[in-house]
Amino acid sequence: MSKFKKMAALFLAAVMLTCSLAACGNSTSTGSTSAGTNASAGGGEKTLEFWHIQTTEPWPTIIQASADRFMAANPDVKVNITVMANDAFKQKLSVAMSSGQMPDIFLSWGGGPMNEYVDAGNLTDLTGYMEQDNYKDKFLDAAIAQASYNGKIYGFPTENVSTCTVFYNKEIFEQYGFTEPKTLSDLEAICDALLEDGIKPFSLANKTQWTGSMYFMNFATRQGGTAPFADALSGKGSFENEVFEYAGTKIQEWVDKGYFNDGFNGADEDSGQSRQLLYTGDAAMTIMGSWFVSTVRGENPDFYEKVGAFNFPEVEGGSGNPKTIIGTIGDNIYHIASTSAYPDEAFEMLTYLLDDQAVSDRIDGGKIPPLKGMELSDPILQKIFDDVESAPDVQLWYDQSLPPEVSEVHKSTSQEIFGKTMTPAQANEKLQQAMDEYLTKKGG
Amino acid sequence: MSSGSSLLKARQRSGNIAAASFLAPAIIILIIYIAYPIVSSFATSTLQWSGISSDKTFIGLDNWAKLLKDGSFWSAFRNNLVIMFLSLLFQVPFAMALATFLDIVGKKGVFFKIMWFLPYLISPVAIGILFKYVLDANYGLFATFSKMLGGGSVDLLGNPELALYAVIGVISWQYIPFYMIYYLAAYGNISTDLYEAASIDGATRWKYFWSIALPGLKPTIISGATLSIIGSLKYFDLIFVMTGGGPGVSTELMSTYMYKTAFTSFNMGYGSAVACGMFLLITIIALLTIQGLNRLGREK
Repeated sequence: MSKFKKMAALFLAAVMLTCSLAACGNSTSTGSTSAGTNASAGGGEKTLEFWHIQTTEPWPTIIQASADRFMAANPDVKVNITVMANDAFKQKLSVAMSSGQMPDIFLSWGGGPMNEYVDAGNLTDLTGYMEQDNYKDKFLDAAIAQASYNGKIYGFPTENVSTCTVFYNKEIFEQYGFTEPKTLSDLEAICDALLEDGIKPFSLANKTQWTGSMYFMNFATRQGGTAPFADALSGKGSFENEVFEYAGTKIQEWVDKGYFNDGFNGADEDSGQSRQLLYTGDAAMTIMGSWFVSTVRGENPDFYEKVGAFNFPEVEGGSGNPKTIIGTIGDNIYHIASTSAYPDEAFEMLTYLLDDQAVSDRIDGGKIPPLKGMELSDPILQKIFDDVESAPDVQLWYDQSLPPEVSEVHKSTSQEIFGKTMTPAQANEKLQQAMDEYLTKKGG
Repeated sequence: MSSGSSLLKARQRSGNIAAASFLAPAIIILIIYIAYPIVSSFATSTLQWSGISSDKTFIGLDNWAKLLKDGSFWSAFRNNLVIMFLSLLFQVPFAMALATFLDIVGKKGVFFKIMWFLPYLISPVAIGILFKYVLDANYGLFATFSKMLGGGSVDLLGNPELALYAVIGVISWQYIPFYMIYYLAAYGNISTDLYEAASIDGATRWKYFWSIALPGLKPTIISGATLSIIGSLKYFDLIFVMTGGGPGVSTELMSTYMYKTAFTSFNMGYGSAVACGMFLLITIIALLTIQGLNRLGREK
C-alpha cells in the first residue's frame, strides 16, 4: 500500500474506534441506554436513575434544577436524568420492565397502564410518604385520585393539569364576528361559515390516533356524562351503548361535511403537522390538551398571541354536564420502582419537583401544577385551572384509563371511524369484544 | 505408525485447532445473539406472560392455537406479501436498469453511482420522518403540485387504500441502490471480451443484454430476489415510522403487529408466538424460494 493510503486507513480506523467508544460511554442526552443501575457507584455514593419525557425547553432545565437543589441538600446522592420523547419512552420502559432493570424514578399517565404496573408489582406504594405531615393535601383531590389504585397512592402527580380544550384563532373569529359557542349547534354554525370561505374548521393529525379520540370523548361525555364510560370500563355496562354510537356517528357526520383538514389520518401530531395548518391560517380550530398552549409558546410565539380557548360546548338533548372536564390532573405522574434501592431518597427527590422554586418556574413556563390554589399569569391557563377546580367530575383520557390492550383497540377503531372504514356500531362492537377479553383474562 | 502419517495427522489436528479457534469468536456471538434468543423466544411463546411482571404461567401451545386463528396476523401477512410482490416487480428491474446504465457508462458514471447510492446509507427512521413531510397531504410534494395545477390536497398516508403503496414507494427509494450495486458488482464479473466478441458478430447492445448479460447475471438476480423476499417479510422500519400500521390496520405488518402485541399491549407470551410464527413462515418461504429459483435457473 502506498504511504498515503496506509496513513488514511490508520486515520479512519482511529476515527471509527473513537466514535464507537464515545457512543458507548456517552450517557447524558436522549435515548442512551443507561438502564436502572441501583448499585452505588463506588465510595458509598447513591445513584438514582430518573427518566422523563419533557424534551422541550424550559422543562428539561426546570427538572434538572429540581434535581440540582435535591443533590445540594443531599450530597451523598447522585441523580442521573435521562430525557426522551414520549413514544420512545413508552418503548424503553416496556423493555426495562420486562428485563427487571427499571430506573428508580419514571412516569406514567395514571389509569390502565399504571394499574397494570401495580398489579405486576413494579411500583412502590407511596401512601406512607404522602400521608406524612399530610403532604398529600398540597395536591388537588382529583390529582391524588388519579394517582391512586385500590385505595393506595402509587404516584406523584406533577407535570400539568391538562384538559381537553378547543383552541381557536382569535384573529379569524374576530374577522368573521364569531363568539365562543355555547352549544353544539352554535359550533356547527361557525364551522359551516368557515367552510364557505375555504377555511377548514378543525385541524387534526390522526396518524397518532389519540388525537381523534379527543373528539370521540367530547361527544360521548357531553351526550351521556361520565357514567357510560365508567360502567363499560368496570364491566357493568358496555361500549355498545347509544352514547358511544352517537359519538361515532357525529364524527362521521363532521368528516362528511368536511370539517377536518384533508389527509388527517396520515398526519402526525408529534411532527406538528396539525399545528402547521393553524399557523398558516388554513384551519381555525383544534381540540387538544392544554399543553398546546406551552407548545405553541415555544414553537411560534407570534401565533401564541392569537390563541383563544373554550370548553367543548353543551350538546342539546345530551345529559352530560357541560362543565365536566376531560383530561388529566397530573399528566406525568412519577413513580418509584419497586426495585429501587433508595425509595426514601427517591421520594425526597420527587418533592423537589414541586418545591416553591419549581412551582414558580413551572407557572412561568406555562403549565399548571396539580396543586390547590394556583395563581397563574396566563389568562387561558387560569381559566382552565378555575374550570378544573369547579368541575363536577373529571374524565381521564380514554386511551389512558383503558387497559393497554383495550386502549390499542380504541385508538385503532377510532381512527377507522374517522377514516369511515368502519361504522360506529362495528367499532363499538370490536371495542367491547376487546374489553370482554380483558375482563375474562382478569378473572371474571 | 510410520512417521509420514503421524505428521499428516499432526498437521490435520493443528489445522483443525486453527480452524476452531478462528471460528470460535463468530460462533460464540452467533450463539449468544441469534441461537439463544430464538430458542428463548420459542420457550416464551409457551407462556402466558405480560412482559412486565414476574408472573409467568405455562400454557403449552395455546398461544400457537390462537395465532393460527388470528385474523389480524394473517391480514398483516397479506400486507407483507403485497410488499414482497411489489418489491420484486419494481425494485429488481429498476435496479437492473440503473446497474446496466452504470456498467455501460463506466468510470464517467461515478457521480451518478454516488448520488444513487446515498438513499441506502441514510437511516430508515430519518427517511421516514422526512418523507412524512414530503407526503404531507396539504403541504407536501404531491399536494403542492396538485394545487399548482388547480387541484386539491393529496392524501396518501391517511388513505387506507393508498398508504401501503406510498410507503412501498419510499422503501423502494431506499433499497433500489442496494440491488443496483449488487448487480453492478455482478456485471463486473462478466468479462469484457464477451461484449467485444458479441459486437463483432453484429449484436446490438439490446441483444447483448438479453441474450448474454442477463443469463450471466441470473445467479445474482436469484440471490437478490431471495434477499428481497426475506427482507419484505421481516420489514418494520419505514412502516412503523410513517404509518404505525395505520390508518386502522391497512398497513399493519407481521412485525408491527408483533411489536404492538408484545410491548404495547403487555402480552409478551403471545407476542413471542407471533415472532416465532414469523420465523417459521419466513424460513419456509425462503427455502421454497431458493429451491424454486435454483430449479428455474438450472432448467435454462
